[in-house]
Amino acid sequence: MCARRTRGHAIAIAIAAADRPETARSVARVTACALWGLETALVTVEVDVANGLPAFVVVGLPDAAVQEARERVRAAIRNSGYEFPLRRVTVNLAPAERRKEGTGFDLAIALGILRASGQLAVDVAALCLGELALDGALRPVRGAMPRVRHAVARGVSEILVARANAGEGAACGIAAFGFVSLRETVDHLEGRVRVASAEVPTRAPEPTPAVDLCDIAGQETPKRALEIAAAGGHNLLLVGPPGTGKTMLARALPSLLPPLDDDEAIAASAIHSVAGLADPDHPVLAAPPFRAPHHTASHLALVGGGSPPRPGEVSLAHFGVLFLDEVAEFSPSVLDTLREPLEERAITISRAGTAATYPARFVLIAAMNPCPCGRFGDQAAECRCLPDAIERYRGRVSGPLLDRIDLRAHVPRVPYERLREERREASVAVRVRVHAARERMRDRLRGTGRRLNADLTVAEVRRFCRVDEDTDKLLADAVRARRLSVRGFHRVLRVARTAADLSFRDEIATEDVALALLLRGE
Amino acid sequence: MRALSSDSEDYPRALLDLRDPPHPLWLEGDAGVLSRRAVSIVGTRRMTPYGARVARELATAFASAGIVVVSGLAQGIDSAAHEGALEAGGISVAVVGAGLEAFLADSRGRRGALAQRIRDSGALVSEFPPDAPARTWTFAKRDATIAALGEITIVVEAPAGSGALITADEAHRLGRTVYAVPGPLGARTSVGTNTLIAEGRARAITSVPMVLDAMGASATTLRVDRDPIGARILEALAPAPADPDALARRLGLRPAQLTTEVARLVVSGEVVCGADGRLARR
Repeated sequence: MCARRTRGHAIAIAIAAADRPETARSVARVTACALWGLETALVTVEVDVANGLPAFVVVGLPDAAVQEARERVRAAIRNSGYEFPLRRVTVNLAPAERRKEGTGFDLAIALGILRASGQLAVDVAALCLGELALDGALRPVRGAMPRVRHAVARGVSEILVARANAGEGAACGIAAFGFVSLRETVDHLEGRVRVASAEVPTRAPEPTPAVDLCDIAGQETPKRALEIAAAGGHNLLLVGPPGTGKTMLARALPSLLPPLDDDEAIAASAIHSVAGLADPDHPVLAAPPFRAPHHTASHLALVGGGSPPRPGEVSLAHFGVLFLDEVAEFSPSVLDTLREPLEERAITISRAGTAATYPARFVLIAAMNPCPCGRFGDQAAECRCLPDAIERYRGRVSGPLLDRIDLRAHVPRVPYERLREERREASVAVRVRVHAARERMRDRLRGTGRRLNADLTVAEVRRFCRVDEDTDKLLADAVRARRLSVRGFHRVLRVARTAADLSFRDEIATEDVALALLLRGE
Repeated sequence: MRALSSDSEDYPRALLDLRDPPHPLWLEGDAGVLSRRAVSIVGTRRMTPYGARVARELATAFASAGIVVVSGLAQGIDSAAHEGALEAGGISVAVVGAGLEAFLADSRGRRGALAQRIRDSGALVSEFPPDAPARTWTFAKRDATIAALGEITIVVEAPAGSGALITADEAHRLGRTVYAVPGPLGARTSVGTNTLIAEGRARAITSVPMVLDAMGASATTLRVDRDPIGARILEALAPAPADPDALARRLGLRPAQLTTEVARLVVSGEVVCGADGRLARR
């Protein structure tokens, strides 16, 4: 008897609802964009407001954060002065077969509900990205840049985002409108308020490098190694007692690197956007990123991970520098995870249900002490480490990792008299050479998608790294005496190619090969 | 593993000079090498790069002359001496300070590999039962045994109180000639060797051929015709390793000139570019 009464009650509500105007029963469609790592796909947010018991359902494989959008959207709509329909609200995220992550769908869902319930008078054609606060304020989301780029490529002509994301959108060459709240967004759409589209943000002014080469006394060979690393993208290991300037040398590297070109800047900035590190005023990086994770970093921090997978330091250093100070203090298992990005120039992180591939094309600069006490080879102090302890310490940086480091330089203590020397080359002068050398590399590798000598394939080494008879004999002797493996042979030639490029020479000279052999270490 | 009793045919006669000859002598490898002419080369564990080079050079020279190199297979000078001998294709004997089984179970990595190579061509010996662990007194006793096995004893580097000085004292007592490599004044690792020389208990080594002469052997090193810059580089690197910049300044060479010459020396194996990026003579 009780059940029958309930059914009768429901029928009564259905009859009452049927009296409402027809417009309130349509399906609204708003465009959003899903993000998995750097992979993006447009998502159509379909909202149906139908008669039935009041309910709010989100389907289309939403993750926990998207499910929670229901609570945010409900409160935001009410607190913005609109009415949340007391009917059956169904939200579908199409295509429905892939899991959607994050909070970026809030705005699209809210606008869809307002449209479907007749509280928004116009259709929304723009891409909508934004998280809602309970009071109806609009919050920025991470990863706006790659999503907007994707939308631009798919022919979307304008975007509606939180104000802090507007710069990232405008940088992708699209009309980007930034709002502070849901209310303002609706007012703009209905033409009551006219918000101007964001201006294309200027590139961040190039930061003044922390260290200039002319701040460092002596150290000709380490400086030369740094110049080669900067030009050819070769990885470098600096070894020396504490306080001799290893960190300073590494920090001078950004001052030698040419600014990013447009493609590089967008690619690097997109990763920073996904990590939520984009600067709202200058979302596009100008200078190559310089990342220096502490030696307590976990492998998640270094190569990325988590669920959903976030980019790690190797990817944040894309087209820039990854500096590992005190590299022997890093956990060996963490260092080993660098092998894949160093070889593949990208890292794929797989988690249950999702996999993300982030590019990781960086120059690795590592610095370490020569022994546990740091004084081995220091003229000014006596090292008391046992030979086995020194070997164990050096063994912390594994062979496979060292194998991928082309350059090794000793950073000695500089005697006082040399600290006072005045004639030193400034970074600007070196940077001109680096720039010119990179132009030569780029011409050589045009059309391959690669641009640095460190990325030359074996076939290209054969083609571009020819040496004269005399130099060939030196290399042949080295290989015959087993001082050089086949892999080492190619590495030496790549470094020699960069040394020749820095001297504006087409031919690789004996001294280039000699320098490469010397900086290779054993 | 064999146990040689002191009345066995293979037992090295030289050990009978000791006050308390090992009985039995435990052995892994070839017993015959123990009766050949031998030199003992010993020194500190905490060696300098200079000590490493001299130990290696001496061992190489003796091994090339067919003389067995005896040492204690500790890290530092001992290992450098064994390695130098093996590199020259010579024979080496290691007298270890623990039972052989205990020693081999403990030594992994590079020293384990070195022990293997010594056993393959020469011999590992110990005066302690196979499972005896290493103790301070076992090392002291072992040091004396090393002194007895060599016709002469060379101390390469030794700070005051080093075990190598026990070997020197014992050799002196047995009437074997002791040689010591003189070192810089003020260097901790040379206090012991300089004292040995000063007190007349050891002769100073002034060149490798000089000690070879003392054993009636002659150096068979091939004199390579070398250009003058190469010779100057080797000379400059003789006392200690150097970084390329310091070397170029000391020799007054342009960096490009220096790198080319050094690269040739690296390829020919006379100079190594170390793990810390410094250049060292081999």
